[in-house]
Amino acid sequence: MSARPDWHCDSVFEGGERECGELLLELRGHFQALPGGARVLVVSASPGAPMELPTWCRLTGHRLLEAAHPHYLIEARGGAAQ
Amino acid sequence: MAGKFCVTIASSRESNDRVTLGFVVANAALGSDKETLVFLSADGVWAAVKGEAEKVSIGAPFAPLKELVDKFIAGGGKLLVCTPCLKKRGIEPDALVAGAAPAGGAALVEWLAESPSCVGY
Repeated sequence: MSARPDWHCDSVFEGGERECGELLLELRGHFQALPGGARVLVVSASPGAPMELPTWCRLTGHRLLEAAHPHYLIEARGGAAQ
Repeated sequence: MAGKFCVTIASSRESNDRVTLGFVVANAALGSDKETLVFLSADGVWAAVKGEAEKVSIGAPFAPLKELVDKFIAGGGKLLVCTPCLKKRGIEPDALVAGAAPAGGAALVEWLAESPSCVGY
């Protein structure tokens, strides 16, 4: 696991080895509890994450700010900048 | 939720792989904020019968089917089960798990008539 980037975040979501539907459902649950604009550091070891997480952001309206597998910085939709 | 999505699953006992994959993709759709319908037909109806999902686990990295179905229902997914397919197998509606409902083709047609995408397993 590479070192955690020095990105400012409000919470961390540990995706571990979870894949596909299991990962995305739990991710949705994590984001549902957040105010718009909250920044989440998502850590996912899934080999599919480099494609899956940007796609999930396009589908849901959350914003991918940074990506350096296995770390992803995602901003919850509804923030001031959106 | 932004838009609808549908997964049809026509095997369960006959293919543990397919029913598992179907629910994994359904949960991916649900997790991506799609209002999601799983429509079980033919052998797939077994997935919604009490005590049946517990028998299906294809192994890592896939979660056991019971867990996938429970999460789908708890996450707000809609689970419909083909009524004539149940009848053909002698399965009574009260044998279905909570959150699953018997339905005919009209329910599937209505869901798809608004043009959501559908994937079949």
